[in-house]
Order: sequence, then C-alpha cells, then structure tokens
Amino acid sequence: MGTLMKSLVFACAALAATLPSAHAAEPSGEAMAATCAGCHGTQGRLGTVEFVPLAGLSEDEFVRAMRDFKSGKRPSTLMSVVANGFTESEIRSMARYFAGVKPSPAQ
Amino acid sequence: MLNRRDFLKAGAGIALAAALPARAAAAAGHIVIIGGGVGGATAAKYLKLYNPALRVTVIETNRTYIRPYGSSEVLTGHVGMNDLNVSYDTLKSKYGVGFVFDTVVGFDPAKKQVRTAGRQTIAYDKLVVSPGISLQYQAIPGYSAAVAETRAPSGWIPGSQTALLTKQLQAMRPGGTFVIVAPPNPYRCPPGPYERAALVTEWMRKHNPSGKVLILDPKDSFVTDATMQLGWHRLYGYNIPNDYLSDMPAGVKNSGKPSPIEWVRAMDGGAPQSLDARTLTVMTKQGAVKADVLNVIPPMKAGKLAFDMGLTDASGFCPVDRRSFESSVHRDVFVIGDASIADAMPKSGFSANNQAKVTARAIVAQMAGRAPGEPVWENTCYALAGSDYGLYVADVFRLKDGKITRLPGERYLPLDASMAKIRLAAAYQQAWLKTFTEDCFA
Repeated sequence: MGTLMKSLVFACAALAATLPSAHAAEPSGEAMAATCAGCHGTQGRLGTVEFVPLAGLSEDEFVRAMRDFKSGKRPSTLMSVVANGFTESEIRSMARYFAGVKPSPAQ
Repeated sequence: MLNRRDFLKAGAGIALAAALPARAAAAAGHIVIIGGGVGGATAAKYLKLYNPALRVTVIETNRTYIRPYGSSEVLTGHVGMNDLNVSYDTLKSKYGVGFVFDTVVGFDPAKKQVRTAGRQTIAYDKLVVSPGISLQYQAIPGYSAAVAETRAPSGWIPGSQTALLTKQLQAMRPGGTFVIVAPPNPYRCPPGPYERAALVTEWMRKHNPSGKVLILDPKDSFVTDATMQLGWHRLYGYNIPNDYLSDMPAGVKNSGKPSPIEWVRAMDGGAPQSLDARTLTVMTKQGAVKADVLNVIPPMKAGKLAFDMGLTDASGFCPVDRRSFESSVHRDVFVIGDASIADAMPKSGFSANNQAKVTARAIVAQMAGRAPGEPVWENTCYALAGSDYGLYVADVFRLKDGKITRLPGERYLPLDASMAKIRLAAAYQQAWLKTFTEDCFA
C-alpha cells in the first residue's frame, strides 16, 4: 500500500472517530426529530412560548440553522451541543421530516 | 404487602373469566403501560402517534400526576403544590389512551397478564413498565419513611413531604441552618439537590437573611458542579473550593467570608453516617451537624414494582436491551425511565421521555414484524442557581457496542458565558417546564 493511500486511510479513520456515527446506521428523520420535542413541541408543532417551532420549516432554513449552531456562527445556549451530535446527512434527514409536518394552527 | 413470590403467584392465579381479551380487541395488539409518570405517559402518547391502531392502556394508581421536575420551586413559593398537578385528560381525549386507575399486584409473564388490587386482570401483547424510583430511607441509620413524613422530609417524590418541607422552611428560626443531605449516585435528577440548595439560599436572603444552607454530600462532585458553584459564588458569595477555582474565569476570587451556602464533600467529611430524627442531627466523619430543617435525599433504586415483578438485577435497577429497552429478564416487557439501566443517560425526566419514544418505535416495529431502527436519545437538564440564573447539561446519546454512549464534546454552559446567556437559560428552564409537560402529557 502506498504512503498516500495509507495516510488517506488514516485520515478517514480519524474523521470517523470525530464524527458522530459517521459510518453507523442512521436513525430515521422522525426518530431524530422526536428528541427535539421536549422543547420544540411534539413533531415540532409548538404553539407557544420561547422555543422555535420546527414544523413546516423549510429544509434550507433548518440545515442552515443547525450548521450555524455547529460552527458557532449563530449564538445559542445549548443548541451548539445538540447540533454537534448529528452528522450533516442526519441534519438533512431531520430537515426533510420537519418540512413535511403541518405547522400547529397556533404557530 | 406482597413479597415477590406472592406477587408472581397473584399474577398466576388469575381468574380467566375476568381477563380482558388482548388480541381480539384490536388486530394491531394491546400495549399495557404500568405507571403514568413521564416515561409511561410519553410511551402511551407516542405509541398512539406512531400507530393509532394499537390499543394502549395505562395502569396508574393516582388520577392526577404530580410532576417532580421543578417541584423545588414549591419550597420558595414560586409555584404552589397545585401547579405541579398534571391531568391525564388530553391523553384520553386527543390520543385515545385508555386509563385504569388501579395498582398492579400480580404479574404472569408466561400468560402475559397483570392483575390489579381492584381484581382486574389485564392481558397484554407488550408491557411497558415505568415505575420510577424507590427512596431507600432505611439506607441511612436513623432515617425511615415515617421520619420523612413527620420530621425530616426528602421531598424527592413530590407530595406531602414537599408541603411539609415548605412549611418547615417558612417556620425556621432566624439564623437557622437548612441542611440538605445529598444522595449517592445514581439518583433521579442529578443537578436537583444543588438547585434546591440555591433556591432555598435565594429565598432566605429575603425572608431569613441570617439563615444558612449546608449540603452534606457522600460524593466529591456532581453534574454541573462547576457552573452551579460559579452561580452560587456570584449570587451568594459562596467560597469555591481550590480544586475548582483554577478553571474559573479570571477575576473570580473567594472573599473568605462565611457564605450562606456551603457544600461539604465526602473528601471533606460530608458523607452522612446516620441521623437522629429527634434532635435533627446528622452524624458525619467531620462530626455531628445540627439542623433546624433537615432535608434528607436518600439513596435510590428502581421503583418497588420493578422488584416485585422480578425485573431488577443486583444493582437494584433493571437490565434491558439498550436498542429497545426490552427487559433482559422477560420478553415482551420493556422497562423505561429511572428504573432502567441506561449507561451514560442520567435518571431524568428528559431521559425517560426520550427512552419512551425509542421504546414506542421499537414496539411498533416488533408488532409489524420489523427489526427496531437505529436509536438516538437526548438529555437536557436545566437547573437554576437563582431565579434568573440558569445553567444546563446537554447530551446526545448513541448506541455503541450495545451500550448507550454520550458523544464527546462540550456539555455544560461555558464558565465564561455572558449574563445574557445565563438569564436566557433561566427563561428557557421555565419555558421547558411547560413544553416538556406538553410533549409528555398533551
């Protein structure tokens, strides 16, 4: 195996170790979305108070928000911790799920 | 009270005439949930959300739920006892969850039936058990359930003891000491004892300014310890121990003056050895500590029902397959919430809520003949160092080699967080009490 190949393999292994479950099976969008519901409402359909309702949010908006939480571009209390717990592809699949949920009438 | 053998016999001796037919009722099956707390209620709601064709029945002793999360706010009068009440009406009317208000006294895993004190026999296809914790009063010599109800309340499962502790705090003599005996790991609501200490200290500044809060601890650390102590320092002049001081932001300096809040760790002799309920004295390695109000949060194990049903192991908690929370002891029985062994997940309402959803998905998959999907869980514990001073621990958890593992990285409010963020975290804590209750019960 050439040196380049070896370092590539090593780089991939290192990347896999830092990204959450980069190679493991992904939970479904619905399953991941359920972890948000304690604050953002069941199915993201929050009708009240401080947190952002996620139901009906456009995919782009959701993905951008999560990316910005990850990078710190968007300030947050604990959303950076949460965003860092999901891969790019998982965030996209959560975004698809929320975009497809009808918002709460109170939203 | 039945012992475990009687309990299992009571389940086996079921009169079949009284048995409710499980499979005949709905082709999709009958899911029975024992316990209408956060875990049980969330499981019921999400089972109906994920498969409305399922018949879901919750067996619960009490007609109204008293929420433990946020219940220390009763002590300071921020909320009243009635504000802790949560109704089951929406689960019934909006989601079609059935409720049997009764107490389970028998279990027959072979016949897949449970029996209640009211002589009902209820058959299940899948059984979810969410029994919460039991307080091990007798683990501290001199302490007992009777002492907790009359002299030295724990107030860790909200109810009469919460009300008693509130009355005792309000009646405490000027300059008195409110002693909190903290529990050993693992216990429900890891930042809870320390948040309670903070809220009582804040209350005393107004109502009993020479009063003092003293925490006696069998541990040397706790979740959110650095951020909580920084909050105590800023708000109440708490002296931060040297080993924590080095990580604190520049400019944080102890005054050395006596502080109205003090934390005595195990390494400093704070571990409780025994107590005298008559004189409200706690014996520690450091010596006798006399309290004016004594709040003892004793060691905890799985709820009694988990023991009666034979679902616990030597640890006093329930081993489960982490992917689904199906019991390692009995098939088609799932144990969620504080009673389960969930590795890195804390015993918190947020954890129980997330476990309930994973279990609901696994049950729906199993009933449809599919393998459960990849699970994911989150936990957030918000805590207050003062009414406007919030902090938190937050985690995302994954299944790794059969165990629930926390992802590495930052989990706490940063020690250099701005006051704006700290106030926001306090506002979010209050908002969360509402949104979380809705996600579980409405």
